[in-house]
Amino acid sequence: MAELWINKLVSAQKTCLVQDNKRKIHFTFSDGTELVEEYDIKSDELLVRKWKKKSTLGGVGKWEIEVGEQPSQFNLEIDGLAESTANPVFVRKDTKTNFQWRIRNLPYPLDNYKVTAKPDQGKVVISTVNKKYYKTFEIPDLARCGLPLEQEPLEIAHANSTLLISYKKPPAFLAVEKKLQQEFKKLKASKDGDVDCAPS
Amino acid sequence: MAAPTVEKVQEIREVTRIERIGAHSHIRGLGLDDALEARQVSQGMVGQVKARKAAGVILEIIKEGKIAGRGILIAGQPGTGKTAIAMGMAQALGTDTPFTSIAGSEIFSLEMSKTEALTQSFRKSIGVRIKEETEIIEGEIVEVQIDRPATGTGAKVGKLTLKTTEMETIYQLGQKMIESLTKEKAQAGDIVTIDKATGKITKLGRSFTRARDYDAMGAQTKFVQCPEGELQKRKEVVHTVTLHEIDVINSRTQGFLALFSGDTGEIKSEVREQINSKVAEWREEGKAEIVPGVLFIDEVHMLDIECFSFLNRALESDMAPILIMATNRGITRIRGTHYTSPHGIPIDLLDRLVIISTSPYEEKEIKQILKIRCEEEDVEMSDDALTVLTRIGMETSLRYSIQLITAANLVCRKRKGTEVDVDDIKRVYTLFLDESRSTQFLKEYQQEFMFNENTDEMETS
Repeated sequence: MAELWINKLVSAQKTCLVQDNKRKIHFTFSDGTELVEEYDIKSDELLVRKWKKKSTLGGVGKWEIEVGEQPSQFNLEIDGLAESTANPVFVRKDTKTNFQWRIRNLPYPLDNYKVTAKPDQGKVVISTVNKKYYKTFEIPDLARCGLPLEQEPLEIAHANSTLLISYKKPPAFLAVEKKLQQEFKKLKASKDGDVDCAPS
Repeated sequence: MAAPTVEKVQEIREVTRIERIGAHSHIRGLGLDDALEARQVSQGMVGQVKARKAAGVILEIIKEGKIAGRGILIAGQPGTGKTAIAMGMAQALGTDTPFTSIAGSEIFSLEMSKTEALTQSFRKSIGVRIKEETEIIEGEIVEVQIDRPATGTGAKVGKLTLKTTEMETIYQLGQKMIESLTKEKAQAGDIVTIDKATGKITKLGRSFTRARDYDAMGAQTKFVQCPEGELQKRKEVVHTVTLHEIDVINSRTQGFLALFSGDTGEIKSEVREQINSKVAEWREEGKAEIVPGVLFIDEVHMLDIECFSFLNRALESDMAPILIMATNRGITRIRGTHYTSPHGIPIDLLDRLVIISTSPYEEKEIKQILKIRCEEEDVEMSDDALTVLTRIGMETSLRYSIQLITAANLVCRKRKGTEVDVDDIKRVYTLFLDESRSTQFLKEYQQEFMFNENTDEMETS
């Protein structure tokens, strides 16, 4: 399984750019799906991962953010409806050893939350005792590498109206990550600012 | 002093809730029974039994969905219910079958060529039923809050609180969303789904927890459970999109290039071909299903010879919808030529059509229609007045007498009466001329009008 994922990334058409101390890589797969990943150049931490898929009818989709946070730029007049900024915000931001999720704007104390892994569905469920927040999410990284989801590596913490959920990365996944990093470092990156533009 | 202002605000709210009454808003179907026999009076339709029966047969053909590109012409004098029959067919087909209604003059535009406009309406009438994954919001409305700006003008802002059994979220609303919420009359306690991509709101019913014995509600109010789990879900929904919609999705110039292309609204034929082959592919894979619909062209004699020859060709394509046309012309000139032809339609196109004809209404039928219109417009009318109005309808036209209903009702209300009676009808009959009396008047006083000498010149030349 892990091999499949690595091969998919390696065989995709890639563009690499180093900018603001980030290595930005853009993948285009054979089915037209696009993927963008951004890594910190020093620590190799994953900062952003987002996908863009074509819809069934052929229209262009929107960027779907898997990791990291992007300033939301919705237009209320065009979209018609947007979640209020006072609502809980769900963001994934990994560290070197953990997958980590932050949910901001959740003022309730720690014993209000229940976070359970459902290995048969491959999903993690966050529920609240006071019925104010509920969310199911997947860990696509584990699914892509064919690794099982377990309850044990899950931990939660709460501070400053933020619920922090971490899941310890399994050793097998760390190995895959390392291998991919080596691949990415081989990519020739064009640097921002000194683009060849020979005036003839 | 505060009380009157409160009342005034209430009044403003009420206005949005009144449905407007159109010329054909009393029609709810063709009024046929299961054996396709037309009932004399049903679903807002009166008389015209033969034409309705014929329309019922056509309806069966459409529902079967196998036959493509048939043409039907509804011909008859003005005011004999041609548009009503087409509307009835649209109502009977339901919302899932595409029904496009255009008027013959609509296709003449400077933005688009005539054939492009026709092709677009053809493709609007073919539906593709396909499974698609969409993001929907499904929950019970806890609160809708719409704030009007203090100055009275400007954008409204709104807040919508939705909940499921597990969670609660507040949404901000844009102008468009506020409008569709008020249109759907959504209120606290309703279970709704909102399609995130299109912003379409569907009311599923009332929440069980809001059921009270003393609530007055219609028979069609449904009670449903409050949804579980997350508010936002990805769901595979089967829906019908028209070929034209797929065309538009795929033809939009993408990215910054959109800034430079002047959008004429025309769609390239390559895009259409691409979509056709893609749809054929989906159909073979069993992913999609074609739903042939109906294109209704009213006042079809307004099309010109180019459009007619285009129609000849377009009807032969296997992606063509059922084409229904209506005209009130007899033997007349075909637009764009010097030839005359029945209905102003070339013989070769007429040959491809089946023709349904409508006949003038009889006295009994006119009375019935006037009665239905009175009900639709909420007008009480005495029997004598109705008889007088029927006579007027027989001697002038049905449309004129229908218009007198509204006017007479106003006159009646001004004299504080509850029921329109003969005097009211007489009053408005003298106030408003019908077409034949107006012609009579013109003939008598022709000399006193401006430019009257022109007509003499034209006659002599």
